[in-house]
Order: sequence, then C-alpha cells, then structure tokens
Amino acid sequence: MDLSSLQALEREIVLEVLRRDKQLRTIEEDRIRRMKYELQELRRRGAKSFARQYGERTCARCQRPLGKFWNSGAVCRGCSHRICSKCRVGVGATGWKCTVCHAYRDVKFRSGEWFLEARAKKFSVTTDKYEMVGEKILKTYNVLSHISIVPPTPPPYLDCPFLSRSGHLKNSKPFTKSMEDLMVSFTSHIRMISTSQSDVRGDLLRVDNNRRESCFNYSSQKSLSDTDISKSHNLFKGPSLPNLFKKSKDSDQEGSSTGAEEETSYGSEYSGGKRGSSSSSVSTDCGLFESIGIVGELELALAFNTNKSCLEFTVGACRNLSYGDAKRKKCHPYVKLYMLPGKSGKMKTTVKKNTTDPVYNEVLKYHIERNLLFGKRLQVSVWHSGSLKRKVFLGEVLVPLDGWRFEDKDSRGFNWYPLCPKAESPDGGAVEQYVGDLLVRAKFSSNHQGV
Amino acid sequence: MASATATYGQKESSDQNFDYMFKILIIGNSSVGKTSFLFRYADDSYTPAFVSTVGIDFKVKTIYRNDKRIKLQIWDTAGQERYRTITTAYYRGAMGFILMYDITNEESFSAVQDWSTQIKTYSWDNAQVLLVGNKCDMEDERVVGGDRGRQLSEHLGFQFFEASAKDNINVKQTFERLVDIICEKMSESLDAGDPAVTGAKQGPQLTEQPAPPHQDCAC
Repeated sequence: MDLSSLQALEREIVLEVLRRDKQLRTIEEDRIRRMKYELQELRRRGAKSFARQYGERTCARCQRPLGKFWNSGAVCRGCSHRICSKCRVGVGATGWKCTVCHAYRDVKFRSGEWFLEARAKKFSVTTDKYEMVGEKILKTYNVLSHISIVPPTPPPYLDCPFLSRSGHLKNSKPFTKSMEDLMVSFTSHIRMISTSQSDVRGDLLRVDNNRRESCFNYSSQKSLSDTDISKSHNLFKGPSLPNLFKKSKDSDQEGSSTGAEEETSYGSEYSGGKRGSSSSSVSTDCGLFESIGIVGELELALAFNTNKSCLEFTVGACRNLSYGDAKRKKCHPYVKLYMLPGKSGKMKTTVKKNTTDPVYNEVLKYHIERNLLFGKRLQVSVWHSGSLKRKVFLGEVLVPLDGWRFEDKDSRGFNWYPLCPKAESPDGGAVEQYVGDLLVRAKFSSNHQGV
Repeated sequence: MASATATYGQKESSDQNFDYMFKILIIGNSSVGKTSFLFRYADDSYTPAFVSTVGIDFKVKTIYRNDKRIKLQIWDTAGQERYRTITTAYYRGAMGFILMYDITNEESFSAVQDWSTQIKTYSWDNAQVLLVGNKCDMEDERVVGGDRGRQLSEHLGFQFFEASAKDNINVKQTFERLVDIICEKMSESLDAGDPAVTGAKQGPQLTEQPAPPHQDCAC
C-alpha cells in the first residue's frame, strides 16, 4: 500500500484517517496493557506460593482445605490444579474453569488476542500486523513533513527508526557494558513479568527484541546511571499472554526456588532497600525496581495555545494514590511530564507532602508547533519523593497528542485518567519497531538466599 | 472534506469502557451505498448526495449486545478500483465483513463473487461475511431479485439481508447479526483451540471427564 498514486488532497484525507486510527489504537493498547496487568495481579494473588505450607488437599486458588469426600475439589482443565467448588466459573453448558483460567480466557476475548491467534494460522506472525501498513505510511509522511518544515534539524530521536538505526550501531557501547546492561534489563524484566510464583526457574522466557542488526537501542547514551535501564526496556514488549500463562501453569505448585520468589515478586511490600546493588544506580526511571502496586487516578487538562504555539497541561490532582513508603505510610507525590518519543521537555510539579490525594492545579507549558505534535505522546508519571532522593514510581498515564481535538469542549476540560503500570516502551517506539523475538532461558538459583 | 468525515465526538473513540472491540469492513462496488449504510448506522443520518469515499474511512460505535459493551470500529472502503491497494491492506485486521451490492445494479451483484475471492485471499480463514443487497426501497428499479441474492449467499456460505440505508431498513439488524456471528466465532476459537486443554477434542462442548489429577512430587 502506498499513497504515491494519490493527489495531495486525497493523501491528506487518508493520512487524517490513519492518524485517527492510530490514536484509537494507542488508547486500545493502553487498555490491553492494563488488562494484562490486572490478570497478572490476579494470578499472583490466586496462586499457590511457597511461603505457606500447602498440602495436596487445598484449593489452588483460595487455599482452603479440600475434604476427602465432601467438597473434594476437581481438576481445572486449564491449569490442572485442584479447585474447590467456589473458585469455579461456568463456561459453556457444563464446563467450568478456575477463576484464574477464566480470567485468562476473558482477557483473550477482551484484548482481541483470540483473533490475532486465529489469524496467525494463516499469516505468519511477524508480518500479520495490518496496522503496520498505516503505521509505516504515517511514519513516511511524517518524516517528510518534518523535513519540509524544519530542514536543518535532524529528526528527533527515534522518530524514525529507519534513519536512526545506523546511529545505534555507531553509538553502541563496548560489548561488555552492553551485556551488563542487558542483564540488568533482563533482571528487571523478569521481575516485571513474574508473578509471585516461582516461575523463573527453568522457564523459557521470551522477550521481544529488535531483530535488526542493532538489537539494542543504546543510542545517545549520556550517562550510565539514569537512562540505561529504562532505555533497555525498549527491547521488550509486554509478555504475551500464552507465555505468561505457560509459565504460571508450570510453576504454580513448584515450591522449590525460594529465593527467586523473594527476589522476583513485583509487589508492594518490597519497595524498600532490599534491591541488589549489583546494577548501576537505581534511578527515577527504572520504575520496576522501585515500583509498588499501581492504583489511583490523575486529573489532567490539555489545551493548545495557538497564539503562543504552546501546549498547556494543567495537572489538577491525584486521588487514591498508593503510599510511596508503605512501611511508614507516607507519600510525597509529584507529577512529571515528558514528551514522547524522545523524552524531551521534562516538566515537574511541586512535591506535595504527606498525602495520597494531592491537589496541584499547576499549569505546565511546552512550546511546540501544532503540526509537530504529530506522533507525539505525553507521558505523565506520578512519583513519590522519598528520603535520600529515593524515588518510587506510583503510576503513569500516556496521552496521545496527535489527533487530539483541542477545539472540542469535551477534551479541553479536566479528565480523570486511571494510573497504569509503566509502559513497556518509554519512547513509544518499541511497538512499531518490534520485528522479532529473542528466546532466553533464565535460571535463578535459590541456594544463596537465606529466606 | 476531511472535517466532514470526523464528525463523531472524541468521547466515543477514546472511551475505554467496553468489553470487546470488533473491527468490521464494508466492501462492495462503487456507489452501492456503503458510506450511506455506515452513516445511517453510526449517526442515523442520510444524505442522498453521492460523495465518493477517498481510500478509507472509519467510524466508531459502541453498542450493547449480549450483556457486553462492544466497541465497533467500522471501516468504510472506497469501491473504486484505483484505491484497491489501500483498501485490501485493511482486510487483515477485520474480523467481519459486510459485502454490499445494489439491487438496482446488476453489475454490482455480479461483482460479489470477486469481492468474496478478495476476502478469501486477504483475510483470515474464519472471516465472517454478511451479504447485503442495499437500496431495497427502490423496488421499481430492482433488477436483482431477493431470491437470487439469497441463493448466492447460500452458495458462498454467507448470511443475507436486503436493506435500505435511506429508509433505515435492516441496517441495525445487519450489524447486530454480524456482531453475533463474530461473538460465536470468538467463543469457538478458544474452546476449540484452547492450548490449555490437553488432547484432541471432538465437539465444542467440554463434556468429557477432566484430565487425571496432576500428581506433584510431595517431597
């Protein structure tokens, strides 16, 4: 598909449609991301974990004891665990699944994954994204318009993966350094995807990668500390459902890798200083190390000031945030804004002390030409500013800016956005850039942990 | 112009409060009434003036069906041949199709077979298709009988409706039927090919005995 045969006006119309479609998809991706996160949470909560003693005769979901004759439970066809009658959900006329398997099935429906899987039977997985077509065209024409408007400026970082690829190679660090970074990112990725079961052990972990010759987006590395880890998250998209599922299935009852469990639980209790110090310094951006349960909402209004060519973000308030410091029940939240891709225009609100419902009502401005908003996203993240400059990630919202109807009354007022866990692609580019898989086997040994 | 195609509110498309999202594609010869059909369904509006669609367009509509909120992204395609490369690129993403002809236009009916081949080529194997004979309000100018449409649809394995975007006949029913079929296929897709279910199954019903309990080593 190309638009070369079209006249300029026609092309503009089609591009406008593609932009609207892209905006729709961005919102949808956001929804799916949240859905999968919730599923992980459910599975984490509902699975047998090593920490407690389990007999054979307990329900794998609620951990209630099962009787020998009465309420003896039955085996779920999905996960092969023994499930009590209360933790079942009916499927079809006579069948049932356990709560977790049912939720998994439900997510497949709601995310449209059922369709992608069915379609993959006919079209190979790597090329099956029809969205790529529109995406490519948008990129192509976007780049052209960038050049025509501001000829001397190079295209922004990652704005066009085709061009920046060669740059990656040149700028990549020495091999050892990259490997170190890679390990750090694997570690964090494992944390991200593992639920509280001991599933890291001996599992096949699939991580998505840019299969191209420059696998790693280590371009423009400024310092080691701040951006490495989050950059390397570019490598990964969220784990795909089947893999996640496989892992937890295998491992639900495998109570042996104690240490791994402790290390990998991606949960609220472990936001403290237990983290391994092997990696480079924990910065504000590696939210996975310091993140906690993501709850709460954020109130935001967007306006575009045409006279001053200026985007005006009004951060209204947050509500129901989780405690950044769960132990002491403290929270000093502030809001940080970035423009994606490229992470330009960092803006911050003030820090509000001792509250999980901070009110800011601060206006943050970002100068940009209206037509350059194309392809841009606003990343709004909420952080807890702890003692000793320790930052804890409290959640974020991604707002697509192109196609935003600043003229609409509806979109000019305040809106509440639910906070989400960290996006897999902080630069907003990994989704489009994904062209392959990297198969990695990770093994955690539990011997060194004295838990 | 572009502004005319983007009349729906931002609320509708940015709304995340739904259960499923289905993508539907409307195809058929030029001037059979695809755009009118979509406008009637999404906006309940109709204009007799003919404006040829440029390439592709879509509208979003959220409906409530079978206790679920279903967000439909309905793609309207240009019937003209010269846009074919653009439109066929979107076949892959569609779960269901509305293949439309004009009951007052023999040529548009003869082209149905070709459109059906296009779907088979560019879409997934389980694509659900509804054949719609549009403009059934123009009984005087009818050249394609209802029985011919029905016969062809049976031959192709599609469901069939005669409809009128102008008089709002069978428009809603068409979309709802299509949504229902997609829902059915969706349930089947997981129950039949559920990777979690061990062993081959014959029917869609899970009536057999569950697999023997998983004996873990209790050290």
